[in-house]
Amino acid sequence: MEEALVRATIPQDLVKALGVESQTRSKADAFTQAFLKNSIQQHSRHNLKNMLTHKAVILGYTRPKKEKKRSSKKAKGLNARQKRAMKIFDIKPEHQKYELFLPLHDLWRQYIIDLCNGLKPSCNPQFVQQKLLKADFHGAIITVVRSKCPSYVGTTGILVQEFKHVFKIISKEDKLKVIPKRNSVFSVEINGFVSHIYGSKFEQRASERSAKKFKVRGTIDL
Amino acid sequence: MAGQLKDKEAYQRLNYLYQAAHCVLSQNPENVELARFYCFTQKTIARRLVLRQDPSVKRTLCKKCCSLLIPGVTATTRQRRKNRKTRFTVVKCLLCGQSKTLLNNPDYCLWVDRPEAQLQQQKQPDRGPSVKNQPKDSDPDKSASSTPSTSTAGT
Repeated sequence: MEEALVRATIPQDLVKALGVESQTRSKADAFTQAFLKNSIQQHSRHNLKNMLTHKAVILGYTRPKKEKKRSSKKAKGLNARQKRAMKIFDIKPEHQKYELFLPLHDLWRQYIIDLCNGLKPSCNPQFVQQKLLKADFHGAIITVVRSKCPSYVGTTGILVQEFKHVFKIISKEDKLKVIPKRNSVFSVEINGFVSHIYGSKFEQRASERSAKKFKVRGTIDL
Repeated sequence: MAGQLKDKEAYQRLNYLYQAAHCVLSQNPENVELARFYCFTQKTIARRLVLRQDPSVKRTLCKKCCSLLIPGVTATTRQRRKNRKTRFTVVKCLLCGQSKTLLNNPDYCLWVDRPEAQLQQQKQPDRGPSVKNQPKDSDPDKSASSTPSTSTAGT
């Protein structure tokens, strides 16, 4: 009976008053799972099993050193070692599913159409390309058109992460593929408008591209 | 004017990244890493182009690990009391443990909402042509005017 209470949907009159709508079963389940997992705190340093397998434990009591009092309460960013230990940007294998990223692609579509104000077929292609240079490509469906390594050619998927030298895309077979930018050409398609990206010219971090100026006529060596 | 336009693109990009992080989290509440990556990118873009983000955005990002703070999913929100009167809202990031403390003060007015902030923005136009009011005027004829601007950028 209690479980039924928990799973009950919010009554109609309350929906309006609260401005909250109950979600579908699967979505609610996913949320509950994540919520419970996050609420029960798990820290890697308190993980006993991990500690016992990797290190010799010294069985002597020493008084724990008092941490030096920090002068300011300000948040300090993580350093590189901590980031590596946290695996800050690694997508876990169980989240690498193509369907999960389809809404992201829809969102990206809207963003690009909005960016190129309408993206009508009458638009000047040069103008669109100028916009695309500074645009964000996370969520786009990209295809490798040409590459020095022939086995990359033809791979298609949703671009999930963009790093300095590498694109991480997720293919329809739920596989995360890492494709180097150097020496390959990618194509992006939006509403019949196909644009090519020369990976060798694109070798910067995603965030740095918005501030950088591109040369108009670059040499194409492939 | 070209500077104004370029800024608009960047703001659109920031907006998109913020929405993308929300989208990813709503699809799968456990995929924190990707949302964090998008927010990190958003933060670095804003830092590089020196763009000011709205406090409502800033307050939903963790300062330490750049993850999106959504109460219940990636953060806990608690009310704390210091003295009898002063109360705080404490938002704690569940991933790195960093907490934000915001004073509950109904009379508090953000700097952005204050009239002085608007005045300051209007003062700037005297020095340069980039005005806050101008984009409204320039928006309709943007498609016409942007093509020459791209050609100038090319040279």
